[in-house]
Amino acid sequence: MSRDWQPDFEQLVDEHQSMVFSLAFRMTGDRGLAEEIAQDVFLELDRNLGRIESPEHALNWLRRVAMNRSADALRRQRVRGMDLWVEMDENHGAIFEERTSPLGARVEGLLATLPSPQRAALVLRYQEGLTPDEIAATLESPLATVKSNLQRGLKLLRAKAESRLKEYIRGT
Amino acid sequence: MGLEPMDDLERELRQGLLRLPAPPGLKRKIMARKRALDAEKTHRRVVFWQRLAASIVLCGAVGGGVTWHNVQEQRKGEAARQQVMMALRIAGRALDQVNAQLAARDSRQ
Repeated sequence: MSRDWQPDFEQLVDEHQSMVFSLAFRMTGDRGLAEEIAQDVFLELDRNLGRIESPEHALNWLRRVAMNRSADALRRQRVRGMDLWVEMDENHGAIFEERTSPLGARVEGLLATLPSPQRAALVLRYQEGLTPDEIAATLESPLATVKSNLQRGLKLLRAKAESRLKEYIRGT
Repeated sequence: MGLEPMDDLERELRQGLLRLPAPPGLKRKIMARKRALDAEKTHRRVVFWQRLAASIVLCGAVGGGVTWHNVQEQRKGEAARQQVMMALRIAGRALDQVNAQLAARDSRQ
């Protein structure tokens, strides 16, 4: 760990804005909210810049805070009585179809239907390429919980993908 | 999990969940909010130091005033004491003279 490393806030924003925004968007399904979360995460980073020791520390810190802020936002939405899952189910795929590949849109659409702990584990696993241990550290959850969320999430996705395929075949 | 070979769904997830580009202007908005917060922080710090300086000046003035008042009181007390001592000395001298006169008269009788 190099103590010589001096964090440059602007450079960190440049490097990680896409990662932070993607995590927030895939967790909340709301572009405006994700942008707001990303801004808050970076401003919090600015307040804690003195404690960041290395580029890896900055990356892990940003991932952890982005996931925490997204979970907080989802909790607030639920408290306010907005069922974001239903909204995401209906809109998520449509939002992505504008800018991503059909495969991306399909994956996003399926992912949006999962409960948030499973979605969080899968996003960190497949967007960020983290191992279950790293996911457990990022989400501050027990490793067994993370592994269970990954397995259940994949099982659910598989089931949903198959049922959609059957619906598509029936429709044609 | 993680070391097992990936199946089609996992491959699809990996390909489909690439990082999205950040919305245009996100960095600009972050930097603008940071500048605004920094300015607010600086302003708050300036106000804090101004208030601290004003408090120190006020405490100094009050303390100085109290000290000055005490010194004046002490001076007045000292002057009064000097006056009392002088009055006592004068009275003592007068009594000595009267005593001397009485003694002289007694000796003449």
